[in-house]
Amino acid sequence: MITVTINDREIKFDKAVTILEAARSGGIKIPTLCFFEGLEKFGGCRLCLVEVEKLPRLQTACTVMVTDGMVVRTETDAIIRARKAMLEFLLINHPLDCPYCDKSGECELQDLVAQYGAEEGRFAEGKRRHPESFDDPIIVRNMERCVTCTRCVRMCDGVQRASAITVTGRGDHSFVEPFSGGRYDCEYCGNCLTVCPVGAIMSRLHRHSYRAWFVEDEIETLCGFCGVGCSMILQMRENTILRAIPRMGMGINKGLLCARGRFGYDIIESNRRLTTPLVRKNGELKAVSWAEALGLVAEKFSEIKEQDGGEKFAGIVSPELTNEDNYVFQRFFRETLFSNNIDSIIRMFYAPAQAYFEGIFGQGITANLISGIGKSDAVVVAGGDPTKINPVLGLQVRAASGNGAKVVSLSNAAGLKRFASSEPVARSGSENFLYSALLKALIDTRGLPGRSGSIEQEIGNIKWPNDEEITQRTGLRKSDIEKVAEDLKDPKNISVIIGPDIMINNGLMGLFLIAAIIYVLDARIYLLSERPNEQGVIDTGCMPDTLPGGRPLEISSFREKFEQEMGYGVPGQKGLTLFEMFEAIGKGDIKAAYVMGDNPVFNLPAADRIREAMSGLDFLVVQDAFLSETAKMADVVLPAALWAEKDGTYVNLERRIQRLHRAKKSVGGLEGWQIIAGISGLMGSRMEYNSARDIWEEITRASHLYGSVSYEDLATDKSLWPYKGEPLRSGKWEIKIPEEVVEKTGHGCHVYPDRLLFHSGSFSRYSPALNSIQAEPYAVMHPDTAKSIDIKDGDRIKIAAANGWSIELVSKVDNEIRDFSVRVPNVFEGVCVMSLVDYGIEPGTGAPVWKLSDIKIEKVQ
Amino acid sequence: MITEEIIKKIQQKKGDYPVFRSAIMSALHEIQNTEGWLSQESLYKVSGMLNIPPATVKGVATFYHMYRHVPMGRNIIQICTNVACMIMGAEKLVDLLKREFGIEAGGTTGDKRFSLVIMECIGACGTAPAMLVNDDFHDNLDEKRVMDILNGYK
Repeated sequence: MITVTINDREIKFDKAVTILEAARSGGIKIPTLCFFEGLEKFGGCRLCLVEVEKLPRLQTACTVMVTDGMVVRTETDAIIRARKAMLEFLLINHPLDCPYCDKSGECELQDLVAQYGAEEGRFAEGKRRHPESFDDPIIVRNMERCVTCTRCVRMCDGVQRASAITVTGRGDHSFVEPFSGGRYDCEYCGNCLTVCPVGAIMSRLHRHSYRAWFVEDEIETLCGFCGVGCSMILQMRENTILRAIPRMGMGINKGLLCARGRFGYDIIESNRRLTTPLVRKNGELKAVSWAEALGLVAEKFSEIKEQDGGEKFAGIVSPELTNEDNYVFQRFFRETLFSNNIDSIIRMFYAPAQAYFEGIFGQGITANLISGIGKSDAVVVAGGDPTKINPVLGLQVRAASGNGAKVVSLSNAAGLKRFASSEPVARSGSENFLYSALLKALIDTRGLPGRSGSIEQEIGNIKWPNDEEITQRTGLRKSDIEKVAEDLKDPKNISVIIGPDIMINNGLMGLFLIAAIIYVLDARIYLLSERPNEQGVIDTGCMPDTLPGGRPLEISSFREKFEQEMGYGVPGQKGLTLFEMFEAIGKGDIKAAYVMGDNPVFNLPAADRIREAMSGLDFLVVQDAFLSETAKMADVVLPAALWAEKDGTYVNLERRIQRLHRAKKSVGGLEGWQIIAGISGLMGSRMEYNSARDIWEEITRASHLYGSVSYEDLATDKSLWPYKGEPLRSGKWEIKIPEEVVEKTGHGCHVYPDRLLFHSGSFSRYSPALNSIQAEPYAVMHPDTAKSIDIKDGDRIKIAAANGWSIELVSKVDNEIRDFSVRVPNVFEGVCVMSLVDYGIEPGTGAPVWKLSDIKIEKVQ
Repeated sequence: MITEEIIKKIQQKKGDYPVFRSAIMSALHEIQNTEGWLSQESLYKVSGMLNIPPATVKGVATFYHMYRHVPMGRNIIQICTNVACMIMGAEKLVDLLKREFGIEAGGTTGDKRFSLVIMECIGACGTAPAMLVNDDFHDNLDEKRVMDILNGYK
């Protein structure tokens, strides 16, 4: 036990802490400037100086540890004089431009000078001059104001681990700069903005548009750009978002954000938002009233239902919408339209992958805490770059590496470049050969654990490819794979992170090989999740074959119990999966579709075929915040509210339920559930909801999975899997496992969708801020690929697929693309890379099996 | 141009230290010794060779006075103007160079023959004023001696 006396108060500790932490825990304030919770200690600003008895000089409270019997004083005349002197030194160079500095009002230097002085400076030297830098589209740098506390550099090096900025120069020529000296060209996480105590590094988005004290309200809500579920605060004035900021320590992101979360909020205020419903009249979309639009939908839907029945409808929900929206949608489809044809884009990866792993290992196997990755002693990454798809989760991989963990990256993961201990990347199309070789090597080094007879039996059935075949297909040497197996020989606490690209070439065989690797490593599974509520779509029963809570609807005891409890009927036969729906639409078996918050004719493989099929629909309703490619084809377009305009819940990739809080009222848009309830009421099935909370209560009744989690329980441990609810099923499913490792494609170039750090699917293209970082699509490829087709960096190229579709864009040569694929982001209008690929349907899970045709690339003059 | 030979030398230096980071300074010296200065491109290359973020390399390179960030002439004249040399007339010598070669402190002659750098004390206070031309040390300077010495550098 350590006893310290601070300002005549005795405080006891059972472990050594710094004087600053000791004082703060006792409610005693010590001023700081360079100190920031969570960053490496620095002791540079000398403002936390305190007197320690028996030590001759003043000590920095932020770095000196307490010892038993230490007597500390924090505010004596000598200390106050010292702090005043420190501030006087800072003010030699810090400009007195508070009247037009955006930081004024929340500036730590301003606050300290207000408290301690110095009112007058005694130094006659002029201030250092360094012109403000506007080289960057997002971040403005004013290094005259910098007090060299280095918080930003410590954040960038030690937490974000991007190391994009540094202190250049020395003495009074010290300035914080990125390598270029101009544009940042970094990950634009903006975490340096959070920590800058003065107005030296600031966001350009709201420059000179308001003062800190204009903020009327702060709403704590969730970011709507990916499945991590970061908490953030929206600062509001009237009905306008002034900015999005994190709060240190808050939420699972603990105060960190990525570029999308921090700067993408301007999408809410975009002038391209839809503000009124549109109805197609004489071939053109015309603005109409809500009453007219909803009336038309109800009338048409009633007509089709009466004539043809519920199976003629297709419903597409969205992992961007809340549980409440999606739950009400499935109720509308099942109760009002009597149809189980409900699915969403998570059929591409998240849903089938989760079903597959749960089938092998048991339910909830993917519900692992993101913070656990940082504590692992080895991390294996396959099928995508976590630092791009789920940036804040990606930081945990970097943190693990910083703690000495072995990081093995089996896919193109540029964001893990300095952090991976090995990066065996197979040539595109041959990933399964790499996975099988790795599995075999791991069985050799670690042995089979003997926990599951059935998995080991399946492993025993694999027809292993031989070494020459592996080298020939993957381009990797046997020693590369042996090194990975050696790295993974001893670790006990391993995380395996799986991204969406795993589905592209590898199909179920890839999933099985990864599952077997997980089994041999006894690892935790993390599924990367591109959109904020992918898990919620599954949990709220927006699947063709399951009820809310994940119970199979074809088992009549489950269905009947559900119908009895909820008071509405559910068709007994499972509906069509997403891709089956498009097949059915193409054949004319489906007449009407309701697309809620997604853009399938742009986002799904064989986008052109899907577009063609959709154009044959009798009636298409699209609910969206923007006039997307799909909305442009619709008969009725209904404007929707976005996440900052909603109450409700999201479930993140850890299966943690979190609450959204409405920050502003949508201009013209309505929440998904409001629109659906409106249509349902007009069709004769009234839904009595007044708020998202009412729906949440109904969901907890409908889904035994959520048990009795009330709104108040969210943000407690009850909102974490398994929610203290009933287990839904036990035992394991029969899983079909292919035996042979085969290559899906030839040896040519293949085009892959690139997952960008700065964009979130086709949705974030409406954010001016994110577009200012990246507004143009590009085709990125390895120098060898570029050389083989005679393309140089920056050339304008045309990529044509065998199906006749082509796109035109600029090439970018990057040796980080190690698998000889050509990667194009599927984000920007007019450049739909998904139209260049085709798919088949995997019968077990309904997942698309990608067919990558060889592409032709030529230079455009 | 960073030659294969330099790259090889830097790769060897990596092994001399427990972490690659420690090799930054000697790698920079290696390049400056042949190039005469450190271009942005050179810093980037060092970062790639040592697997260190480029910004970190730049931070190191700009901290130390003796790394040069502008192209230098073939010969670098470094004159001390600290107290002892100043009293003994170092500033006159700086004026002389300005007159004779038209170079200011930090500048380079048009024919790239000389660059002038004002440096801190080189420990020759007893025989001030003193200067370095490239790595050669010269003291007890006066105007004539300076011109004689510099005539030997083409």
